[in-house]
Amino acid sequence: MIVARDLARTYMLGAVPVRALRGVSFTIEGGEFVGIMGASGSGKSTLLHAMGLLDVPTAGTIEIDGTDVLALSGREKTRFRLNRLGYVFQDYALIPELTVEENVVLPCLVRGVPREECLGLSREVLRDVGLEGRMDHRPAELSGGEQQRVAIARALVNRPAILFADEPCANLDSATSTTILDLFARLNEEFGQTIVMVTHEDWHIRYFCRVIYLRDGLVEREEPCRTKKRRRASPDRETAVDDDRLPGDV
Amino acid sequence: MSDIGVSLFLASRSIRRGNRGTFVLTVMIIALVFVNLVFLPSIISGVVEIFNRQSIDYTYGNLVIEPKENDLYIDDVAALKRKIDRIPGVAGSSPHIQIGATFTYRGKAIPGTVVAFTPQYEKEVTALHTAVTSGDFLSDGDRDQIVLGVLLAGEEDESKDRIESLGGVKVGDSVLVTFTNGETRDMRVKGIIETMAVQADRQAYVTTGEMEDVLGISDQANQILVRTVEEGNEEEMKVALMSFGVQETIKTYEEKAQGFVTDAIQSFDIINAISTLVSLVIAVVVVFIVIFISTVGKRKQIGILKAIGIDERIIINSYVIQVAVIASLGTAVGLVFTALLTLYLTANPLIFPGGAVSPVLEAGQISRSIAGLFAVSLVSGYIPAWKTAQEPILDAVRG
Ligand SMILES: Nc1ncnc2c1ncn2[C@@H]1O[C@H](COP(=O)(O)OP(=O)(O)OP(=O)(O)O)[C@@H](O)[C@H]1O
Ligand SMILES: [Mg+2]
Repeated sequence: MIVARDLARTYMLGAVPVRALRGVSFTIEGGEFVGIMGASGSGKSTLLHAMGLLDVPTAGTIEIDGTDVLALSGREKTRFRLNRLGYVFQDYALIPELTVEENVVLPCLVRGVPREECLGLSREVLRDVGLEGRMDHRPAELSGGEQQRVAIARALVNRPAILFADEPCANLDSATSTTILDLFARLNEEFGQTIVMVTHEDWHIRYFCRVIYLRDGLVEREEPCRTKKRRRASPDRETAVDDDRLPGDV
Repeated sequence: MSDIGVSLFLASRSIRRGNRGTFVLTVMIIALVFVNLVFLPSIISGVVEIFNRQSIDYTYGNLVIEPKENDLYIDDVAALKRKIDRIPGVAGSSPHIQIGATFTYRGKAIPGTVVAFTPQYEKEVTALHTAVTSGDFLSDGDRDQIVLGVLLAGEEDESKDRIESLGGVKVGDSVLVTFTNGETRDMRVKGIIETMAVQADRQAYVTTGEMEDVLGISDQANQILVRTVEEGNEEEMKVALMSFGVQETIKTYEEKAQGFVTDAIQSFDIINAISTLVSLVIAVVVVFIVIFISTVGKRKQIGILKAIGIDERIIINSYVIQVAVIASLGTAVGLVFTALLTLYLTANPLIFPGGAVSPVLEAGQISRSIAGLFAVSLVSGYIPAWKTAQEPILDAVRG
């Protein structure tokens, strides 16, 4: 569970303050698949960075599963990210020198888990994202969608309490986007994975159980959880949601 | 996997899949710096060694016994020699009488030194008798015969002389020797010796009998050269001699040769220190630049690693490990280069005034160079890695 209270973030551009967040409060329950939406510049990324412990808000508090994360030291934050959070960057952010498998296995190795166990876990998540056949490839040899799935596998390998994704489909065509959103939906439904995802595509809304709309650094409104039934009922979603294939098997 | 294991993992992938050219270039530069660090000292060691060799073999033996303070001569030399020769660890000894003289040949007069010894004894201590290039060495009963060092005898073509000489004295020629006490002798040149040791090659040699006749003394000497069985234990042998009742002043060949050699070595050491400093600065700059460029190029990657939750120390260590690998390979290649250079220079020695000099590699110098190179490499690898890892994650990830 994430509890954010009065989050503010002011950037200083020279002497000019840019108020990216101006007092944002909300609660995200465990097991939710939440979308964060809003116009460009409304503060979506800034908010996700703050929750992902990649940036420090100017004011406010964030509590994740009972921990006041802003009170942690730098090293404790690093540990917290490693053990509890998964973060998917918009531009994949893979390590070019590592193979797909090495990219995914790395966060697990860092936790001190034995190598064999990590290899097993990474093979599992790579299968989940449909890339078990590409384990020995380098990121440069993969398509954008495949790279994004590697990034997701890497974010998932440590079984994070929360998965953050900042516009994970921004660089992808709609077919690939669908594959990735299907994967998220499946993780959320099957494993109860908490997911917080930033997007500006309206058609993604049908995947979320709740949407937080930002506007000029404030929460404009929240749309309540949609039921699974309602999502399934939406006619143009039939193929994507009822599809039982693994997301990678396109 | 342990933290250091993760660092190793990252480092090994970075080396395997990173830029080959940069890697090889850095290794080669470290190798050349290593050669530079080791080579000059090895030449200096070679010079020192040849100097010591020649001091012992042609000028001083291992130990030199001199008259007590205020005395001109050592008395009862025959008895003293017998006493010395009985001391365990002594291989032989040779009393010397040295005196200044002026040599005249074909109207040319040159000041110099005449050394008198008993040839039979001299062979126990020095190798002068092996250095005869023409004619013969002195024999015990020789009278009015003299052996000249090659620099004193000189060349007929004076332009070939390195120092002022008699201008090409040949075996069989006559040289007029005027000793400092005023005595004059017309002596036949019996042999010419060439040792490459400057001092030995500038002197003239006669028998003790001859000199006693000139000076009107007997059973006296102003030096006794001592050859020890082992080399390197001169200090202990000095003490041994004293404990066996030798009351005269005893000096090791190193103490005798001081002045000249120490001055030379000091100058060498200054040159060497400058060269070492320059080499290390080059190593620092190169490693720093290479790692700096590499980490700046990997700014984003370092940001990503931090975002995933990898501790800065693990990231920095992965760069330090890479530098350590580069430094290890560099010194290994450097050792190979040095070995090849040493082999070449042993086969084709450098000619110095003291003789032919081959590089002498010393374990201490090599380990100091390795340690120095490692230290500067690690520091100059650590700093840029540390600096890049300090950057806020988002700044780094945005690239
Ligand atoms: N590092 C920064 N320095 C200064 N201003 C910044 C910085 N990062 C973001 N901002 C400003 O903060 C505001 C919110 O930025 P943010 O990236 O959160 O928007 P966003 O909602 O993610 O937009 P987009 O949909 O375009 O990604 C913007 O006005 C932006 O210019
Ligand atoms: Mg954004």
